[in-house]
Amino acid sequence: MSTERGTTSELGIDFFGRMTASISHEIKNTLAIVNENAGLLGDLALLMDKGRPLSSERLTTLAGNIRRQVQRADDIIRRLNRFAHSAHEPAASVDLGEVLTFTAALAERLATMKGIGLTVAAGEPVTVEVRPFVLENLLWLCLEQLFAAAGSGATVTLAAEAEGGAALVRLRCSAGTEVAAAAAGVEGAGQPLLAELQARLGVAPAGGELLLHLPVRRTG
Amino acid sequence: MRVLLVDDEQELVATLAERLEMRGIDAAWASDCATALELVHKERFDIALLDVKLPSMNGLELKRLIEADCPWMKFIFVTGHGSEEDFQACSAESGRDFYLIKPVQIEVLVQKLNEVFAGTGEQP
Repeated sequence: MSTERGTTSELGIDFFGRMTASISHEIKNTLAIVNENAGLLGDLALLMDKGRPLSSERLTTLAGNIRRQVQRADDIIRRLNRFAHSAHEPAASVDLGEVLTFTAALAERLATMKGIGLTVAAGEPVTVEVRPFVLENLLWLCLEQLFAAAGSGATVTLAAEAEGGAALVRLRCSAGTEVAAAAAGVEGAGQPLLAELQARLGVAPAGGELLLHLPVRRTG
Repeated sequence: MRVLLVDDEQELVATLAERLEMRGIDAAWASDCATALELVHKERFDIALLDVKLPSMNGLELKRLIEADCPWMKFIFVTGHGSEEDFQACSAESGRDFYLIKPVQIEVLVQKLNEVFAGTGEQP
């Protein structure tokens, strides 16, 4: 298990690096927009000095644009903060639906870049005992593999449900997605994560769904 | 000089286009690759300013598609990453002087556009 934990840590470092790189890009984009809006304000002020009229409506719009981007950056940084803290949180009881929502938010940019619609379906509350970061990492890996298998224009929907004494995450994909190939990819790259979570992957018999079975409480 | 700005952040390119217009540079913008390709098929541009990371395809792939139809066009890449990987890719493709990191200062951009338009942009 120590070897697996070691490998889990290596996967975790890779995951952490990729997430923070993606989030830093999002922050850069918001700063670039603030920069352009502030620059435009300066340009308009210079033109006003030269006699060109400047309406209060235009100023209000630009101020609103800046405020909206600051709010967006604040949301991104809150997400980064929560993500960073999850990396050192011990195993705890967590709401599975909440982890799905959070991981979907982390994967939103990747989904957008791939042209994929990503949603989380409302479901019943299901509590599992996990290290949140490890579950986030495994879900991310599932999404990454599904996005590659699905291609642009596809949709992926996450849903959590109780499954007897266990929990089930359904990752539902558009028709035509090679879900079995995605499952094989996750099995190959994420074995240490599956082992730590005592989770099991499957493909729905009708196809179109990657199934992640999780124990509600880990044994051992 | 006619410039096409392409970035998936619509507010960014729209604002940048307005600021370039104020400086006498004719600028149009697109927030996705399909619209960008549609624009270059309909109108003539001299330079395209492309975000490296775009939905559906990256800036380098978009450049190749534009170049196939508009071989006279020149390109400047912009990215928020500033990573070594991006830098290497863009340097190999277009020369390091045609690569800018967000947020871009308007004076730097205007100078670069003028250099590239005049064909004096340095390449290694």
